[in-house]
Amino acid sequence: MRRATPGVADGPALLNGTLSIVLGWTALAALITLAILGLWVAPPDAVQGDAQRLMYVHVPAAWLAYLAFGVTALASVLYLWRRTRSPVWDRVAGASAELGVIFTGLCLVLGSMWGRPVWGTWWEWEARLVSTAVLFFLYVGYLALRRIPGPGRAKRCAIAALIAFVDVPIVHFSVEWWRTLHQQATVFNPDLNPEIHGTMAFTLVFGVLAFTLLYVFLLDRRYTLETLEEGREERELEQAIAERTGTAELVDAGGYTATLALRLRRARKSLPGSGGETSR
Amino acid sequence: MTTRVRRRTIAAATVVVVAAIAIVVLAFQLSGNITYFRTVSEAVDQRASERDQRIRLAGEVVPGTLRETRTGVTFRVTDGKDTVTVVHQGDPPGLFKDGVPVVCEGEWGAGAVFDSDRILIKHGSEYEPPKVDAKQAR
Repeated sequence: MRRATPGVADGPALLNGTLSIVLGWTALAALITLAILGLWVAPPDAVQGDAQRLMYVHVPAAWLAYLAFGVTALASVLYLWRRTRSPVWDRVAGASAELGVIFTGLCLVLGSMWGRPVWGTWWEWEARLVSTAVLFFLYVGYLALRRIPGPGRAKRCAIAALIAFVDVPIVHFSVEWWRTLHQQATVFNPDLNPEIHGTMAFTLVFGVLAFTLLYVFLLDRRYTLETLEEGREERELEQAIAERTGTAELVDAGGYTATLALRLRRARKSLPGSGGETSR
Repeated sequence: MTTRVRRRTIAAATVVVVAAIAIVVLAFQLSGNITYFRTVSEAVDQRASERDQRIRLAGEVVPGTLRETRTGVTFRVTDGKDTVTVVHQGDPPGLFKDGVPVVCEGEWGAGAVFDSDRILIKHGSEYEPPKVDAKQAR
């Protein structure tokens, strides 16, 4: 009944090792290039001056939040759909949501830092800001839900991820649906007519690409960590069961002492008898 | 077994759809409360009923109307339809200047004057490098 999705190996990592390393270094190089482009190459904005440079990290962070929660939603659908159900999708959903929370948080903090010099306030109770904060807490809740064990955990989380995703389009369109202090979208506006050009536009697009590379790299790393954690939990469980049933064997270095103690106890038990296998 | 799974899938889908509809409906129902500011002409229309209420007024600073007072600044804001005189207590924010879109927080004072004690800049979504001679003007 349970079969892995074709093409997706149920292995410890999503990407092969070399690819992951190359990706990591590429992402780092891209981020350094972004810093140079954003801080020195791109011109200051006519109205906002240097404060506008925060856009080159604030917008990519927001984009990653959308992307990460989108991947979580997609992976959750693939988990819920019986034909594609696999623990792989559950892990992808969890790993991506963690990254989404980090980048939503980053987006809020960077936005606040941008808002202070330009708007004149760190925080306002307006639709874009509040819906983004709600997004952050929705997925913090999702991550907490993931930690609650029990049968049907993955399925429950997948449903929660889909409900939480409803807030993503609300965040994006909040600036169109309601009056906000936050400006409307510069690039993905309803007319799809970017209001930014030249070096500034290039730097922004470059930032989005650099952050996306970082996301793919981190997603793979986090996924790998998750499989290793699950593997360890499984081994520990097996060990505990084995110890209770008295069939413990050397499983790993961590279980070594426990196994030794168990053997010693067994050996002592057999002492008062007819000598047994362990004579002194 | 299959019917059970199917029933569960339908139940899950229903929960998602209902939650989505609920959130969207709630959001639109609340849109009155979510309104962050009033345009100058809206505020003027509702002036009689909002006399002692704290509101936010949004418009552009009319060029040439900015004057310093002993306790702050005074200027006129417009939304293209109506224009209102704002008397602000305190320093305006750094990016405040002629023609900039602003949100003024405060309440209606005597006559048609708006008493503000907080100004926020509502900048647009366009970005561009400064023009060469604009540098000199700044």
